[in-house]
Amino acid sequence: MAQQIGTNLQENLRSLKEAVGNSNDIIFREFRTGDGDGINAAMLYTDGLVDKNSVQDFIMETLLIDVRNIDMTKKNIADILTVGDMQQLKDFDMLFTRLFSGAAILLLDGYEQGFSIGMSGIKDRGVTESSGEAVIRGPKEAFSESILTNTALIRRKIKDPNLWLETRQIGRVTKTDVSIMYINGIANDKIVEEVRKRIERIDIDGILESGYIEELIQDETYSPFPTVYNSERPDTIAAELLEGKIAIIVDGTPHVLIVPALFISFMQSPEDYSQRADISSLIRILRFLGIFIALLGPSLYIAITTFHQEMIPTQLLISLAAQREGIPFPAFIEALMMEITFEILREAGIRMPRAIGQAISIVGTLVIGQAAVEAGIVSASMVIIVSITAISSFVIPSMNMTISFRMVRFLLMGLAASFGLFGISVGIVALVLHLCSLRSFGVPYMSPLSPFILTDQRDTLFRLPHWAMYSRPRLISQKNVIRAKNQPPKPKPKNSERKGKAR
Amino acid sequence: MKTRKLALILLFVVLALIVTGCWNRREMNDLAIAIAIGIDKSGKQFRLSAQVVDPGEVAAKKGGGTRTPVTMYQATGNTIFEALRKMTTVAPRKIYMSHVRMLSIQEDVAKEGIGKVLDFMSRDHEVRTDFFIVIAKDTSAANTLKILTHLESIPANQMFSSLQTSEQAWAPAVTVTLDKLIADIVSEGKHPVVTGLRIRGEQKIGESKRNVEEIASPAQLQYSGLAVFNNDKLIGWLNEEQSKGYNYIIDKVKSTVGVVACPNGGKASIEVVRSKTEVKGKLMNGKPRMDVNVRIEANVGEVECSMDLTKTKTISELENSTEKRAQSIIKMTIEKVQEKYKVDIFGFGEAISRYHPKYWKKVKGEWDRIFVDLPVHVNVDVKIRRLGTVGNSFLEEMKKKE
Repeated sequence: MAQQIGTNLQENLRSLKEAVGNSNDIIFREFRTGDGDGINAAMLYTDGLVDKNSVQDFIMETLLIDVRNIDMTKKNIADILTVGDMQQLKDFDMLFTRLFSGAAILLLDGYEQGFSIGMSGIKDRGVTESSGEAVIRGPKEAFSESILTNTALIRRKIKDPNLWLETRQIGRVTKTDVSIMYINGIANDKIVEEVRKRIERIDIDGILESGYIEELIQDETYSPFPTVYNSERPDTIAAELLEGKIAIIVDGTPHVLIVPALFISFMQSPEDYSQRADISSLIRILRFLGIFIALLGPSLYIAITTFHQEMIPTQLLISLAAQREGIPFPAFIEALMMEITFEILREAGIRMPRAIGQAISIVGTLVIGQAAVEAGIVSASMVIIVSITAISSFVIPSMNMTISFRMVRFLLMGLAASFGLFGISVGIVALVLHLCSLRSFGVPYMSPLSPFILTDQRDTLFRLPHWAMYSRPRLISQKNVIRAKNQPPKPKPKNSERKGKAR
Repeated sequence: MKTRKLALILLFVVLALIVTGCWNRREMNDLAIAIAIGIDKSGKQFRLSAQVVDPGEVAAKKGGGTRTPVTMYQATGNTIFEALRKMTTVAPRKIYMSHVRMLSIQEDVAKEGIGKVLDFMSRDHEVRTDFFIVIAKDTSAANTLKILTHLESIPANQMFSSLQTSEQAWAPAVTVTLDKLIADIVSEGKHPVVTGLRIRGEQKIGESKRNVEEIASPAQLQYSGLAVFNNDKLIGWLNEEQSKGYNYIIDKVKSTVGVVACPNGGKASIEVVRSKTEVKGKLMNGKPRMDVNVRIEANVGEVECSMDLTKTKTISELENSTEKRAQSIIKMTIEKVQEKYKVDIFGFGEAISRYHPKYWKKVKGEWDRIFVDLPVHVNVDVKIRRLGTVGNSFLEEMKKKE
């Protein structure tokens, strides 16, 4: 049971000071306010979290100058202060949460409650362009670290009272704001309830990023595939909300989570919906081809060149064999070396300071591209395979899915090296079985491919024109499936024809 | 439960890494890619020759040119398989048979029967069945694999594509693959034929690099004639014209050139661009009779005589003489085979069995005897479609000027 705020101001202040350990960024301002001698009052705020000018203009000025003739014991404080966001505080826990969220706290002698006044002046990075999910056409804005900025960005896209937001503090120590956002009437109530339950079950000392929440609520931990989708783009989140999914917004991170996540969502880029339908469909097919290469490129090469040489056309076999003359390692080791080298380069590319990036990339390309081949350590064809694989893996719009496929690729390479194409087939069967067994908040991960839902194919491998995609995913939004009753656009008759008819 | 599952997966991954190298895994640089196989007789044994690619030499980007693109390993054994494995005593790597393009069999081996040779090739799991089989004529099979060639640096590739193109554009050559040959050998209504391969020029120079250092190679490989088989034994040869006739009958002519006499003397070449042959078996009073209907579409390819091509009459005259020419080639071929070799290489028996299966059942045992006296009616229909890019030959105008 949290300590209640008492009527004695001095006592309250003493226990508060004790609680914060005399931290000097907590400002305690004691003063007297009201007519005559007035009453004792104290103003608390965290330096840096509140907007000092507003505190000065709207609170201090009012309480010290304007209320000189008012009897503070008779008048309600809410009627005096010219501020919008004002809440009554009963206990210390609530007080601290508000204090550290950027509110100014007003305590008055003789009152059993304190007042929190929203004066947040936290420095925000501001809405900037998305760095992780770039598009050519479409909105460029991305979420920032402040939860209120983020919810506002979504609200701006969906102006409907049914867009509901539920916030709770999670983390014993950090008390991070975590919000669930969904569109009432479109989202499936059972899934909303499930999300609520899973979030309430979380007991952890700190939430610093949405990844913490993701790991604590996901369905399957021992799987390379993510069952929670995340995005830093408000338009993506808005589109997913419209499909009946639920967004989980965590304070302090620009990455908003979306559940339930389907495998197919990771293959869709927000740009698919801005570009023309035919272009997006072709690009989507290209992406699936990219996955195929990223997943199977090296393993097929290993399997075919070490087990099934009869499958290679004679001329190609001779030129491949010529490249391999004098290479000391088996194809598998060769591929593994190159793949690991590439992974190291990739990881280094992300972590290293930007200033030395160029130097590293030159060394990297020279080492893996040329010197290794000329030194006869790896064959030129292997360099081609590894680089096309690496490039292909980046056509997947979602970074965490890219990493999943790269992990599985190493397993398949091992299988290919030990059992050839049989190994690859077994690996793929196992992979498909695993993918089909996954669920995200009760929804089959591979839907609408497995189970196959014909009407949802409009936005799966292909992206049909918007007027044709009139229904929401069946397994997610079960009660409100129809989006709109749009008809294909019918061009107006030409001017000449219209005139002809009129006569 | 979860940890056990994970441990199990890890175990499999580790095992997969350890067992690498078992089974039939081989790196490409551990293979001796045999590209052509030659089979000769050596006393009572077989002498097997394998033309093996030297990949470093074929695909070398720089340097290279000091060695030949292929090398040859030879071994002698009681059976083909024994000889093949014995080859490891001279070859550094195991001979890899999947990419064999050509199988060259010596004439003497073929005379004794090629059945023994083919069994290994059809049984071994490594060998594909899409290579071509030829008979080395007037030379040993090993010699045919020793000739260096221009354009296609790998001689076997040269043989392969040369046979393919000449079948398509010249007609008197047939591509015979293993499947087809075995099917023809075991068929009761047909005997096989195989294209012959001979060496033109000096064998000794052909074997050295000098052969490809000259513009006109002193030694060249040339396809000539078809070898006629009685089941699996070679019994004789068809010359070039008969080979063409054979190809007309079995409907294998895609395109060829025929020379006909002009109405007023001189010669003209007719380019056959499409040819379709139907062989029908008939029974007349209980006796079999064959109808061979050939429909040819042709273009005028060359005119070396005075002739007014703008008149339809000339064209129909030309068509007539082409028909006669083709007919005589086909008839002559059939007669020669009936008289000299007495074996049905045309598949007439198969045609009869399709049209009159009951009759066929009665006579299939003595078909070759019936074939000798089999009346064959040949009907050729030629349509000339195009005259080329000019109408009348300029030779015509030249004459007028005189």
